[in-house]
Amino acid sequence: MAPKNHTRTNAADAEPGNNLRAYYKRLFRRFVTLTIVCSLLPLLVVGWVINIHYTRFARERMISAFHNEVDHHRRIIELFLKEQSAKLQLIARTHALSDLISQPDLSRIFDLMNLEDWSITDLGVIGSDGSHLAYVGPYDLIDKNYSQTLWFQKVMENNLYISDMFMGFRKEPHFIIAVTGSRNGDKWILRATVDTEAFRSLVENVQIGKTGEVYLLNEEGVYQTASRFGGKIMEKADFPPTDIHEGIHTKIVEPQKQGNQDTPRQVVGLAWLEEPRWLLVVKQDFSEAFNDVNHANWAMLLFLHVSAASILLVSILISRHMISVIKKRDVEAESLNRQLTQASKLASIGQLSAGVAHEINNPLAIILTERQLLLDAHEAEPNLPEEFRDQLLDSLNQIDIQIQRCKRITTNLLRFSRRTESVIETVDLNRFVKEVVELMEREAQASGIKFFMNLDEKLPPLMSDPSQLQQVFLNLLTNAIDAHDGKSYGSVTITTSVNGEGPSEAPGIWLTIADTGCGISPENLDRIFDPFFTTKPVGRGTGLGLSICFSIVRRLGGEIFVESKPHRGTEFRIFIPQRPPAELLQQMNDAPKLRPRT
Amino acid sequence: MSGAKILLVDDEKIFTRNMAKLLSNRGYQVKAVNSGDEAIRALEGAAFDVLVLDLKMPGMDGLTTLQEIKKLGLFTETLILTGHGSIDTALEAMKLGAYDYLTKPCEISELVEKIKGASEQEDAGNPLSGPAVL
Repeated sequence: MAPKNHTRTNAADAEPGNNLRAYYKRLFRRFVTLTIVCSLLPLLVVGWVINIHYTRFARERMISAFHNEVDHHRRIIELFLKEQSAKLQLIARTHALSDLISQPDLSRIFDLMNLEDWSITDLGVIGSDGSHLAYVGPYDLIDKNYSQTLWFQKVMENNLYISDMFMGFRKEPHFIIAVTGSRNGDKWILRATVDTEAFRSLVENVQIGKTGEVYLLNEEGVYQTASRFGGKIMEKADFPPTDIHEGIHTKIVEPQKQGNQDTPRQVVGLAWLEEPRWLLVVKQDFSEAFNDVNHANWAMLLFLHVSAASILLVSILISRHMISVIKKRDVEAESLNRQLTQASKLASIGQLSAGVAHEINNPLAIILTERQLLLDAHEAEPNLPEEFRDQLLDSLNQIDIQIQRCKRITTNLLRFSRRTESVIETVDLNRFVKEVVELMEREAQASGIKFFMNLDEKLPPLMSDPSQLQQVFLNLLTNAIDAHDGKSYGSVTITTSVNGEGPSEAPGIWLTIADTGCGISPENLDRIFDPFFTTKPVGRGTGLGLSICFSIVRRLGGEIFVESKPHRGTEFRIFIPQRPPAELLQQMNDAPKLRPRT
Repeated sequence: MSGAKILLVDDEKIFTRNMAKLLSNRGYQVKAVNSGDEAIRALEGAAFDVLVLDLKMPGMDGLTTLQEIKKLGLFTETLILTGHGSIDTALEAMKLGAYDYLTKPCEISELVEKIKGASEQEDAGNPLSGPAVL
């Protein structure tokens, strides 16, 4: 059944409406909060924790890979230097000095050394006095004496020496590897200059991404190879040569100002070579090194937040939908509740009224017989004084009028308590309306009220109780006319229509009676169907009219609704089903067919 | 039919007294009693044309009285009088073979009309009446 209030006014909605709205808002917030707490929060927490763990794990893996890269690079450089040193040592140990100082032999050895890779620029044999015994190379160094140089002293001391980069006699950066040989206690030196370009390409050309660079520093922090983004060979580096003296160290250096340049966050790998004591520096911008991790990270966070946002959106939509369903259910429950209350109120009052009516009818019956006795006595006595006879007849007449009045009240009470029997017949509602309106029009003529009928010609015939319908219709029309009390004009509009959207799925007919009378105040609107509730002056209304309408309409399986605006008018809408409800037919079958009463 | 014998049963003594007088004023022979027991005894003692029976009485109520009467084979055309509050019971009584019912307070003319109808029915021989049905 569609939710409908039996009574509805604009004013009546105001106060509870606000409370209800606040209640539904609270409910909505609670639903959304619950969803957030139960699904969004765990999702975000789990998402973030996984993300943090993944980031940490990925970073460790990246750093470890970077570490391996540095180690690998260090090995390559060390291997190169060891290979060159080993070659020289081999030559010094396997060749006699006499062979080496022979220019053609030394040239042959020089060529052989560079056979596979061009790695040595020149080769010289130097005597213990520091002067060249033989020399192969592009420079004119044959008459140079090295006895005062650092490398000469070092090699004489250690038998193997690899120098730092230095300018020397040739005035360009180079470094040398020198080994000693001896014959009969006489020491000589075999010295090779490593090809700077070959060495630099070995070190520097290892490309690590777009931002990576590799270079060597000596213990004093002087560039041994050029840095890709800055330091030239032999320049002093800004980079501190670190307090760590062995092994490989990988660290992340935070952004800092270096000179007038900002260095970004970088991953830096440091590794000391064994011999010479050079520091291998491998650098890469953090953003590039962790590019993949960062991408995965962002993608994951984006996914996480998009999911969270969609959950939030869905939860809001679902909550809104649920609230609307709850609202609808509440309205239905409220309407049902009201009807139940009204029905039970009417039932209990009905029971009481039936008892009261019965109790009053007995004394009324006695009064009636007493009156009849007086009438009989009066007829039997023709010689009564004229004045007395008139008074007697007048009083007896008045007694009859008052008895009839009481009888009307008790009849109404009993009708209300549903103790009247139903007769179901075919009813042409339009004709029925016309007849009743015609009847009422005469009564309303003096009051200046006009009746308008707006009848649907396609109305199907009803199976219903015409006398009870008439009762309803008369009561409503009487009320409509009475509502114009004090006004010299007004109208009552009666409309019939086929059930478009009735309160139930059963087919039926709508009958609407709208007046332009004084209307019903919101506080009274809830009570108009209550028995004995009346706003008419004492003696004019029993307060049962609308209660009877309500119970009759319900009994016939219909519904009655009212809308009213004070000072504007009232509209009663009655739905009558095309066929009476099964319970009513059942009740009628249980009762025997009545003989027509006179 | 004038002069019919009527048994009037109602617990309200004033009512039966008045009604008896009104009916005898109209030429009926009326015996008024105030309970179901008295009614049965009266029916056992004499034959009546019409029984006017109130439904709501202390002790044996109208319905039980009617059942007893039928059981004892004393059936008489019956008019039910009711305070209208007990229409259902009135209908029940009609199932038991009562001729018609009247609601209190009723005009004497109305009652007379019904009595006439009932006594005519009695004359015609109601198939429901008499012990033969039981």
